[in-house]
Amino acid sequence: MNGVLIDRKDVEAFLIDEASYLNDGNFSEWLDLFTEDAWYWIPSNKDHYDPNTHVSIIYDNKERLGERVWRLQSGLAYGQEPQSRTRHLISNVRVLDQDDQTITVSSNFIIVELRRSIQTIYSGRFEHNLRKNGNSWKIAAKKVELINNNEFIGNLSFLL
Amino acid sequence: MNTVKISDLVKEGAIHGDVYKDEEIFQKEMKNIFENTWVYVAHESEIANSGDYKTTFIGFNPVIVTRDSDSDEIHVVLNRCRHRAATVCQQEQGNANYFRCAYHGWTYSNNGDLTGMPFQDGYDEKFDRCKMGLIKVPKVGVYQGFIFASLSEDVPSLEDYLGHARKYIDYVVNTGPEGIALNAGVHKYSFDGNWKLQVENTIDPYHLSVTHRSFFNLVANKTGKRINFSKMHKNEKIRDLGNGHSLYELDGDLGIGALPFNLIIFPNLGFVGSQVRVTRPISVNKTHVSLYPIMLKGVSVEENASRLRKHEGFYGPAGFGTVDDLEVGFDRVMEGLNAKANGAEWLEISRGMNREEIDEDGIITATSSDEVSARALYKEWRRLMTKE
Repeated sequence: MNGVLIDRKDVEAFLIDEASYLNDGNFSEWLDLFTEDAWYWIPSNKDHYDPNTHVSIIYDNKERLGERVWRLQSGLAYGQEPQSRTRHLISNVRVLDQDDQTITVSSNFIIVELRRSIQTIYSGRFEHNLRKNGNSWKIAAKKVELINNNEFIGNLSFLL
Repeated sequence: MNTVKISDLVKEGAIHGDVYKDEEIFQKEMKNIFENTWVYVAHESEIANSGDYKTTFIGFNPVIVTRDSDSDEIHVVLNRCRHRAATVCQQEQGNANYFRCAYHGWTYSNNGDLTGMPFQDGYDEKFDRCKMGLIKVPKVGVYQGFIFASLSEDVPSLEDYLGHARKYIDYVVNTGPEGIALNAGVHKYSFDGNWKLQVENTIDPYHLSVTHRSFFNLVANKTGKRINFSKMHKNEKIRDLGNGHSLYELDGDLGIGALPFNLIIFPNLGFVGSQVRVTRPISVNKTHVSLYPIMLKGVSVEENASRLRKHEGFYGPAGFGTVDDLEVGFDRVMEGLNAKANGAEWLEISRGMNREEIDEDGIITATSSDEVSARALYKEWRRLMTKE
């Protein structure tokens, strides 16, 4: 990829693969997509701020993200009993920035979640920071800007 | 719904399922509780400067909590134009010297006084402008920065109302070298269940080792130390502090926050982990919960950041603890309450009644797996709900 601009379609394919892990319940494979120094961030109340001075819905390093996945697979995570069924639809993919090693991608999403016979729609913008890993990428950062992050929202124990 | 029936819903050690499901009882709660006792509305740090305001609710009533631009006095006024009822303030928080109704332009200063309206010739001298300010909530009290308001004049002083709970609020405030602030945003979540389920769950250590087993397994895996809940419950106490307030004294660190206790201030305020928790009833089966992380003043950014990370680990819409409470403590309870046949209507809150102790101040104490807190809550609930 040295010196070659990344094709938006390749990045889109990566995001779609990531979503398929979540939608198919392959959480360990999803976790493996993240670098060891990755963070996974769902801001609360607004989209942009310093997470050291403002609370987040999720601000996970790799360790806590691993615990999140462990919990979902433990059989004891009651918040996911019954389990959510989800479909992630990803669109409006744009490459915001790139260099030899990293790429910043913005995309819009609609996630439909079904749990306890109730269908809920979540929507917003993903921002992925991807790091080159052989012929593919690893996720160094994933930010989930929910449009309803300042609303009273329900049980977010499934993965977005 | 007559008072006799309501008093029958709370027995010694048991409550009737209708307290969570009955629409008429809910409407009466909004009148007899939320319009008849002190309700927490804001913390001073949320309206720190002259002219700052915050909008919130007392029961169903939308209100604005303001800091007077001239005197710095704190006012709580109903967010309803005196002309044709539109809310005059839409933002959650901000700074304004005036609130101007966008419908017909009636304008109020931030102490609530009516200052004018367009085309004043339509009103003669019989129109008393002084009486047409935003309606003031009659009682406003501040204790250690925590602002409470009461829609009824007929309440004890705020100090007396908080009573034995005061020294624990003092403790919270003194955890920061220069005090505390609620300035790090809010976790907001909602559930389709009755508000009292969230209040009860604020002090219910009995459920920790069951509902939150996965969380405590994680803690054990990480620290190599497994919490001995049986021993913990023997060492820890729950206290009925009177007026519906109660306290849970922790024995050691559960890994979920900084405070050494959980405190319920009846009806809508809680102190848990490192948070101020506010419970707002929306309808008989819908509740909004706001968690404000308590930030310490005079400590490093890193220290407050680590409080936030710990809080997020257990609490909030995606926290490992909250989501299990939403499912088990609220959704499943609301579902189970539909089973009413063959005498199923009652819920047990009798645990530990056989080992309660009462001290000279009248504080009732038992161990931390006991349901002292729920009994304290329903004692005050019953008193207010049966008041004429």
